[in-house]
Amino acid sequence: MDKQLLSIFEMFPNRQRDDLIPMLHKIQDQFGFLSEDFIIEVGSYLDISVNKIFGVATFYDNFRFGPRGKYHIRLCHGTACHVAGATTILAELEKQLKIKSGETDKSGLFSLEVVSCIGACGLAPLIEINDEYHTSLSVESVKIILDQYRENHNNDYDE
Amino acid sequence: MSFEININNTQVEVHEGETLLNVMRKNGIKIPTLCYMAGFTPSGACRLCVVEVEGKRDLITSCTYPVEEGMVVKTNSSRVIKARKSLVEMLLANHPDDCLYCERNGNCELQWLAEELNVKERKYFSRKNTDKRDHSSPSVYRDPAKCILCNRCVRVCEEVQLVTAIEFVYRGNKTKVNSAFNKGLNVSSCINCGQCIMVCPTGALVDISHIERVQAILDNPGKETVAMLSPAFVASIAEQAGIKNTDNPAGLITAALYKIGFKKVYDMSVASDLNIVLEASILKERMEKNHSTPLLSSCCPAWIKYAEEFTPDILPDISEAKSPQQLMGRIVKYHLHKETESDKLYTVGFMPCVANKYEASREENTLKGISETDAVITVREFLRMLRSSGISLSRMEAENPLPPLENNSRAGFQMAYSGGKAEAVAMQLNLLLNGKNPSGFKFIPPKNPGSKREVKVKIGKHEFGFAWVSGIMEAQNYLDQLKHDQRTDIHYVEVMACAGGCVGGGGQPVSYFNAREKAKLRKKTSQELEKLPANTIAGQNNDLATYLSANEKNAGSKSFHTNFHQRNVLK
Repeated sequence: MDKQLLSIFEMFPNRQRDDLIPMLHKIQDQFGFLSEDFIIEVGSYLDISVNKIFGVATFYDNFRFGPRGKYHIRLCHGTACHVAGATTILAELEKQLKIKSGETDKSGLFSLEVVSCIGACGLAPLIEINDEYHTSLSVESVKIILDQYRENHNNDYDE
Repeated sequence: MSFEININNTQVEVHEGETLLNVMRKNGIKIPTLCYMAGFTPSGACRLCVVEVEGKRDLITSCTYPVEEGMVVKTNSSRVIKARKSLVEMLLANHPDDCLYCERNGNCELQWLAEELNVKERKYFSRKNTDKRDHSSPSVYRDPAKCILCNRCVRVCEEVQLVTAIEFVYRGNKTKVNSAFNKGLNVSSCINCGQCIMVCPTGALVDISHIERVQAILDNPGKETVAMLSPAFVASIAEQAGIKNTDNPAGLITAALYKIGFKKVYDMSVASDLNIVLEASILKERMEKNHSTPLLSSCCPAWIKYAEEFTPDILPDISEAKSPQQLMGRIVKYHLHKETESDKLYTVGFMPCVANKYEASREENTLKGISETDAVITVREFLRMLRSSGISLSRMEAENPLPPLENNSRAGFQMAYSGGKAEAVAMQLNLLLNGKNPSGFKFIPPKNPGSKREVKVKIGKHEFGFAWVSGIMEAQNYLDQLKHDQRTDIHYVEVMACAGGCVGGGGQPVSYFNAREKAKLRKKTSQELEKLPANTIAGQNNDLATYLSANEKNAGSKSFHTNFHQRNVLK
């Protein structure tokens, strides 16, 4: 078993059902996402059905089941952003990246997550990419922003 | 403490702590439910059981609400009916409109409710569910589009069968029932028992039908279709079609199968006898070697799969005898016919079980790539085949099934219900140890329904303990308790995965609201049918004895044995 995973397990010596969610949080903090193998390990450690854990983990938006992309896009879907057209922005992002919310694209460059209010309602609609904010978006600007990041990535690669 | 409440202007006496729904059902008041399951804690998910209570602002769900003194309840006021109608209309918002093509057409609780509540048009429109259908299991087919999220299947799987192969995943309007990591049932811990099919109110969970493939073979002149009738199947059909045991139900079914186009029809009773003879000899061997753990029966394929997945350490204690279906397939293909013909034969088991479909596909149950049993038709499927062929069983002239080996004993019918097989094995063991004249042997199950299902009998010098359990939870608890108490007085445990045994099997007709009564009726029919054979003990069958001894010389008795292995599944 993975040593890091083992050290997380050691934090929960009582092996109780209520250890499940804190444990999943720790694993996600450590590895960035919950892999199938880790969920199976947690299941056998806590003696909870894998299916049950998957049910719990999918219930909460915070848990991810695949690695994040190099650029993690968080789309604000609070009330103000919704009114200002976050849904069309989401549709455009999904179209451009060919992924759905919660997924990572094939190149591993972008991942997409829909979050509730970020607290910048005056600048709606907006996305946050690796702690950088892109505000007052329109369908056209989405493509430009994504292209910028692709270019940045290519530059990183060339250097 | 008891007091009175008023339901629909009638005073009704109730006890404190009862739920409103129970009180109303007891008094014959009809309340529709989709998620309520008797014997489980109520969940209040479907909200169809709403009633109006005077003084309460909102309608309340009667399944979760305990009775209160002086309550005035209305169960069918226009407000209640309107609310229920809206609920059904909302359930139908994303339900596919393909009732005509649905397995459960005519036997669907949602369809009944829509009809009762006068739903005439699609009132709400919602995005269609495009989740993938799951064809992966050999026994169970899942169509998520028809699922109404009532959670009955999830609870049966978790709380009765301890398997948790399916669970609610995701949340809100994305919630669905699915197996772990959204992978198919075939890689999940599903044991193929089919209990989820028996509780599903719609057509979201049905069996993998073998009707088409059997019909395709029936027309093929190069193939010889052989039907093998399980005694439990015969009893279920007799009960369902209302055939008296004096009218020879097996004969009527045989005649119907010849009409449908089967070339040969055999009775599987002889294989049941063989299974019991084998298990009794294994038990005798174990006694001589002084095994401290009990022998566990192997006739239930769902139980075998459960043990392989969850408790691989008890696999050595499970009897290696093949189940009756596979024994019969083996006998038909390799003993009654030449081995060269075996690929021309197409054996169809007629069973009350969907796990048998999976069992027939197990690698252990093949020889040189040819299955012992090629297809399995359940009670449900056979009733449908009868209807589509326009055959009425009661108008048939009974024809006896071909007797491969005559003089069946009553053991086959005993295997249909929980406790029967334990008795049959005990009687066979008595015959083995006490010789030809086992007089005065009595196997009396405890009458009190709450007591442990154990019987101790004295055979020869030893006292033997026989026990029987049905339902995986009961089985697991019982075996855990045995281990915990370090008991050595129980020598044989009969395990059946479905509550009540095969009479409550996953291949029986789906009738959710009277499932328990139906299972009891089927048990009664089996018990009546078991009075017919002349022999009471499996091993009294003389032909079986000669057959066994002849076979031991030829192929070695190992052809009647199988083996089990640990399975790593998502559990």
